[in-house]
Amino acid sequence: MLSKGTAKKVTIYLNEDTQHHLGSLYEAILTFLLHKGVSGATVTKALAGFGAHRIMHTPKIEVLAEHLPIKVEFIETAEKVDELLPTLYDMVTDGLIEVHDTTVVKIAMKEKRRAEPKQQHERKAGKAKLMRIFMGEADRLDGEPLYDAVVKRLRMMDIAGATVYRGILGYGIKGHTHKQNLLHTGRDLPVMIAVVETEDKLSQAAEAVEEMLQDGLIVVSDVDIVRLIHPHSLLEATDAKLPAS
Amino acid sequence: MQNYQPAKLLRLHFTERDRHHGKPLYEAIVNKCQELKIAGATVFRGLEGYGDTAEIHRSHVLTHDLPIVVQIVDSEESVLRLLPILEEMMDKGLIAMSDVKILRIQKTAKVQNV
Repeated sequence: MLSKGTAKKVTIYLNEDTQHHLGSLYEAILTFLLHKGVSGATVTKALAGFGAHRIMHTPKIEVLAEHLPIKVEFIETAEKVDELLPTLYDMVTDGLIEVHDTTVVKIAMKEKRRAEPKQQHERKAGKAKLMRIFMGEADRLDGEPLYDAVVKRLRMMDIAGATVYRGILGYGIKGHTHKQNLLHTGRDLPVMIAVVETEDKLSQAAEAVEEMLQDGLIVVSDVDIVRLIHPHSLLEATDAKLPAS
Repeated sequence: MQNYQPAKLLRLHFTERDRHHGKPLYEAIVNKCQELKIAGATVFRGLEGYGDTAEIHRSHVLTHDLPIVVQIVDSEESVLRLLPILEEMMDKGLIAMSDVKILRIQKTAKVQNV
């Protein structure tokens, strides 16, 4: 945590349109600094400037004004800066990073005025079971995709929820590798359905699924659940079946 | 649920960009599992995520650096045999192991002893 006394100030010079994974680099840097708990960071747009490319950037020359210099600055303790620099070094592909010693004279933070109390969500914690069902995307039951049939069946049984995931690669009980070929023909990628329910309801669900599956795997584990329910959805949620601590 | 056997579930978290001897790490891991006769392995690709570096992994037109999760289920014995090999293959990332109960279903004709 930053306190009064000696500290380091890091200044990063960039171009406004420097990209980082197709987003702007300065935004990526800000997000990174925020995640890492840096006390504060400021981005300033310059009026004009030039850099290593020896090209003058001014609002007149850059008609769209998207090419102007940008300065990202933050102040942190020396240790924190040492920790952050390697990643920043990696992220700044076009620009300049500078670190200088500085002295923090005052850090003041006014007690934040309590804004309109946010609508509180209700939190319910408890024990439950998680079931993962592994199958292939091409598996069918009476002409419809098996994963569809399973989800419909679970829904009919009033199971709290089910999510279908598609894998990109895998192998299992059938012995063949599920892999997407370029022509999308004979597509049989792995599919996993995750279901969370109370123990009783889950064992009913598992029995039903056992009947429906031709080849596949059912994996059950104990989980702790935390459900967040927003007030406006509370009406529908009160009759949901998951345990309330 | 009496017929469920105890087993271990492994979840490996890393990114699509991670490589092992030139090919994607997830492919290398799946191949290794097959070679070691591990019961099964499935690779999932996430939509977005972040890990140790706090750098956000997101999809873009040019770069692919999405989060990858590999799930492996087998007996404790096999998983423990596999673990040191995985640890060596992964440069960075996360391995999570949990206790699970499993039921293997195999109703189609070509029944082999597993």
